[in-house]
Amino acid sequence: MKINKEIRQLSREMLRASFTDGQLDPGRIVSLVDSLIAKKPRHYVDVLKNYRRLLRLELEKRQAKIETASEVDSATTSELVANLKKKYGGDLTTQFVVNPELLGGMRIRVGSDVWDGTVRNRLERLQQEL
Amino acid sequence: MYGTERSATGSNVSNKNFNEGKIMSSILEEIETKIERLKTSTTKSNVGVVRETGDGVARIEGLSDVMLNEMIEFPNGVFGLALNLEETEVGAILMGDNTLVEEGDEAKTTGKLLSVPVGKALLGRVVNTLGQPLDDKGPIKTETFYPLEKIAPGVIKRRSVNQPVQTGIMAIDAMIPIGRGQRELIIGDRATGKTTIAIDTIISQARLNKAAEDAKDNNYRPLYCIYVAVAQKNSNVARVLDTLEREGAMPYTTIISAPASDTATNQYLAPFAGAAMGEWFMDNGMDALIIYDDLSKHAVAYRQVSLVLKRPSGREAYPGDVFYLHSRLLERAARMSDEFGGGSLTALPIIETQAGDVSAYISTNVISITDGQIYLETDLFYQGVRPAISVGLSVSRVGSAAQIKAIKQVAGKVKLDLAQYRELAAFAQFGSDLDAATRARLDRGQRIVELFKQKQYNPIPVDEQVAVMWAMQNGYLDSVPVDRVKEYQLKLQDWLQTRKGGLLGAIREKKELDKDLESQLKAALDEFKTTNP
Repeated sequence: MKINKEIRQLSREMLRASFTDGQLDPGRIVSLVDSLIAKKPRHYVDVLKNYRRLLRLELEKRQAKIETASEVDSATTSELVANLKKKYGGDLTTQFVVNPELLGGMRIRVGSDVWDGTVRNRLERLQQEL
Repeated sequence: MYGTERSATGSNVSNKNFNEGKIMSSILEEIETKIERLKTSTTKSNVGVVRETGDGVARIEGLSDVMLNEMIEFPNGVFGLALNLEETEVGAILMGDNTLVEEGDEAKTTGKLLSVPVGKALLGRVVNTLGQPLDDKGPIKTETFYPLEKIAPGVIKRRSVNQPVQTGIMAIDAMIPIGRGQRELIIGDRATGKTTIAIDTIISQARLNKAAEDAKDNNYRPLYCIYVAVAQKNSNVARVLDTLEREGAMPYTTIISAPASDTATNQYLAPFAGAAMGEWFMDNGMDALIIYDDLSKHAVAYRQVSLVLKRPSGREAYPGDVFYLHSRLLERAARMSDEFGGGSLTALPIIETQAGDVSAYISTNVISITDGQIYLETDLFYQGVRPAISVGLSVSRVGSAAQIKAIKQVAGKVKLDLAQYRELAAFAQFGSDLDAATRARLDRGQRIVELFKQKQYNPIPVDEQVAVMWAMQNGYLDSVPVDRVKEYQLKLQDWLQTRKGGLLGAIREKKELDKDLESQLKAALDEFKTTNP
């Protein structure tokens, strides 16, 4: 998709307007989209597409994906969530995934930050070192 | 008998076992320590997802902490270089097999800059842009790595050029002298002998280095050479390698090859890799010479990379920073002051012009960056004047400070003489009635032109240059017919080498023609004249 300056500016403005008190506001997002569709400015479909992409990236920044090799007990889970919220703010959502391929340990991804303590990662690093 | 034999074999076996056991246990220990190091740490990294890939470029979403020019790691051991940092995306050029990178792959920051191995281990080797060997001479044993992009030394660290690079090409050493730390552009159309000048210079350095090594002369500073072939045909690189090997220049030379079949990324990075290798010599108080063959193709490779990265294009579709690309590369050539080791890096960039047009975009850029240029003309080349150096358009802005005094003494007026000759020659075609002074000037000019013709791969030592030019200056060639000047010169050089080695040695040592040397030269030339009428 080729994005021109106009599209980029408009979608960025929409994103900026989607926050209330530093948090994404679903109500405002819906009304923004509705008003855009009603007004139908130039390239409005592309603007919407780009806006959707920016929202997705924004949501990813506020979502923690926690991958583990096996199920984690609830005490660890709640401690983990509390710690992550302390670091990244209260609006962080969490998603737990079990991935046996990791062999052991845990991998947490928030936005583009990754903490990797899995056995698989260690093995890969060992392989590189040797 | 058998018993003793058996027992001997037995002890051998146990010895072998013991040694093997020792080696094994040390390997095990090593792995143990590596595992220990891994155990303790949970790695934190910054990742992104490949959204688009093709033409050797990947666009990655995420990577919020990536730095400009940082290496990015992709799966399957492919690395990339972050060149475009945008609001939500990163544009990276890929090194290695870019078909292994797919959409959706995870890319990781490494916190490292792209580096190449440097050091004396690279001499005699042919390597690619990343410093990996392309010859069959095994791995390169070096511990030191230098980043490709490095800020050039500043004003405080530098000093002015004061030592010569003896190219062994008489026309250059006499009229367009090059100093150590200078940047002298070699410019001309295709097939005018640009690479030949560079190769001649390398061969000349190798001979001088070898002679100094053999004579155990510790005062001589060897000049190591780096030849960077950018987007050249593989056959050309092979020919250069073959020539250098045949002339015994490879032990002092490194070839970096990013041939035409290589990716644009590698072609764009090759000169920077060469500069990094040259900088190591400079930083360690040694002298190096680097040849970029050629920067017009380098600019084209950079244009390709920039266009696929969707950077805005400017004149002739080159990106806006193509000037900065070359200026930051050539600025790394320097002569360091004695407090900073006194090393130097001399750069000989090559530019290919189209139909003699020096006012094209890239050529004017590089002309303005460098400290002078050697301009080669097609017309001269086909007239048989080889090297086809155009005296009028060639200039060296700083090199004369580095010329040895003897050359200054004999070649001081040569450039003027030749320029006047060219002007008069144009007029003299029309009339035959010339006054004696004009006639003499024309005669002298013709003989200088003949003298400066030189076979390729045949550099002339500076002492012989001085002797020959002294003979010319003092009228010894005036009686020789123009078409026999070359023959006279070769005979004279030969005769001086065999009979007057001491005289040549004295010129080399004193670097200046004093009264005594001049009278010796006069006697020698008179003697030569009587033996070769």
